[in-house]
Amino acid sequence: MSKVVTWRSAVVFAALAALPLLPGVPRYYLLLAFDALLFGAIAMSLDLLMGYTGLVSFGHAAFYGLGAYATAVLLERGVLSVWASVAFALIVVGLYALVVSYFATARRGIYFALLTLIFAEVVYTFFRYTQTFGGSDGIQGLPDATLFPGVAIDTPARKYYLVFVYLLLAWLVCRVVVASHFGRVLVAIRENEDRARFLGYNVQRYKMGACMISALLTGVGGAIYPMRSAFATPDLLVWTESGEFIISVMIGGLGTLVGPIIGGAFFTILRDKVSSVVDWYFIVIGVVLIVIVLFMPRGLLGLRRLFRGRPWRPAA
Amino acid sequence: MDYLLAVLLPQLLHGLVFGAALGLLALGLTVIFGLLGVMNFAHGELFMLGAYAGITVIGATGSFWLALLAAPLIVGVVGAVTEVATLRPIYHREPLYGLILTFGLALVFREGVRQIWGGDMRRILPPFPGSTPLLGMTYPNYRLFLLAASAVVLLAIWLFFTRTRAGIIVRAAVQDAEMLDGLGVNVRRVFTLTFAGSGALAALAGLLLAPVFTVYPQMGVEMILLAFIVVILGGMGSLGGSVVAAFIIGVAQSLFSLWMNPQRVAIAIFGIMIVVLIVRPRGLFGREGVLE
Repeated sequence: MSKVVTWRSAVVFAALAALPLLPGVPRYYLLLAFDALLFGAIAMSLDLLMGYTGLVSFGHAAFYGLGAYATAVLLERGVLSVWASVAFALIVVGLYALVVSYFATARRGIYFALLTLIFAEVVYTFFRYTQTFGGSDGIQGLPDATLFPGVAIDTPARKYYLVFVYLLLAWLVCRVVVASHFGRVLVAIRENEDRARFLGYNVQRYKMGACMISALLTGVGGAIYPMRSAFATPDLLVWTESGEFIISVMIGGLGTLVGPIIGGAFFTILRDKVSSVVDWYFIVIGVVLIVIVLFMPRGLLGLRRLFRGRPWRPAA
Repeated sequence: MDYLLAVLLPQLLHGLVFGAALGLLALGLTVIFGLLGVMNFAHGELFMLGAYAGITVIGATGSFWLALLAAPLIVGVVGAVTEVATLRPIYHREPLYGLILTFGLALVFREGVRQIWGGDMRRILPPFPGSTPLLGMTYPNYRLFLLAASAVVLLAIWLFFTRTRAGIIVRAAVQDAEMLDGLGVNVRRVFTLTFAGSGALAALAGLLLAPVFTVYPQMGVEMILLAFIVVILGGMGSLGGSVVAAFIIGVAQSLFSLWMNPQRVAIAIFGIMIVVLIVRPRGLFGREGVLE
């Protein structure tokens, strides 16, 4: 088809779109699918930064949580429009991300990770310990959002389509970015930042750009979350949540975009399934993570090699 | 004058006590960082394991002193096994993998402890109660012991690194492990023993602080961020730097809490950290350009 959309991806998205149409899909599984796709989409947004630009953000929970709180605040006050929530989340997350990315992108490696982490902890501390937005309880019992006046997003199928459209749009944005000249410069920065600078690129501006795109996509994902869960709590902002996004990227396969979607979905479903059987599911998740780092550093997507006998190619 | 004696001085001492224990934690973190290039996210869990191992030993023998000896040994062995089994295979890879691996280890340790000992808050009684009159105020005996014990351990570590052959080998490995390997030193063993030693130090800090704070599975996560902050402020890989920074952060935290509520204190510490990272990312005593 084109450089951005391949036939295979079109088929996959068509299959995802048809999921709620299957007869007898229980409500519970549609909501689990919502969580899986949302987590996948956010992991993909993070992959733009981790896999393509080579910057590990330990602060994506802040973008996610701020987006969720933006929606929650509006829903609580009777502003039900999805569009208003998304726009508000873009503004709030955008302003915060502008500050964070301006300072964090001046540094690289571990310093970038720690700067994003500490900025996010400031946000978390504020939401958790002041009563402005409900303290540790957050904002609960939110009404359903509406797409247009009179069209409420109130059934699991509608909620599923909401996240489906978000995933599709976020994926298109990421694909366009990756295929563009801008995306190629990002990869050049990942491979050798100094060389990219000597070639005359304003490296920090490119890194900031990547950071902003990733943060805004994550923020929109956060904005969608309360439309399914009907709450926003400070738990969405803790740094271990950022850790779970990173885990999802690693499980799926760094620098592949599709991999992190699979990784995020896999992680969500694993957590859901294991936690319904045993209450020590964090051990299972931790062990999965250790096994992946030790034995399959290219993630689940790296397994393709086994079936094709063709060497795995890093993202280009 | 009364304010000085009744409020400022005890708070200053609290800060020193906390800073000393924080220093033990940060020292291990910074040595591991300098040596292995791994930002060890599981370090806080070794700290927590120390407290729980101490609880078990105290429960079995009734002796705090025995626990103080046994807990670092137990956690040191756990650390050595962990290093050999998981970290050793990935040293040649990018630092990112170490970060993620130790994050996974932290999850396993935290949940494992919750399964074995339960998730509720525990306390260890101080081995000696009471307080001593000191400069016109009274100060709890145990905290004085904590300060003295930490100071002795810090001094011992300093002597180890400057006066013993083993300590000099570790420092040489921090500088250039490949060169050391070429000189015939078994670098793998140095790595394993250093990881075990840093785990033992974390465990010692965990058990020493246990009678002052509470023991619960999340205690490590809450300390590790502070320990990271100390390591950066002192300068990544700088041993003296992290001890100085630990005292700065400890005292700053306890003095700030005189005038601010705890969340403002946390935000203030984060604020200091952000400024340091932006203005002088190598910290107080770090070499320029380390992992930058």
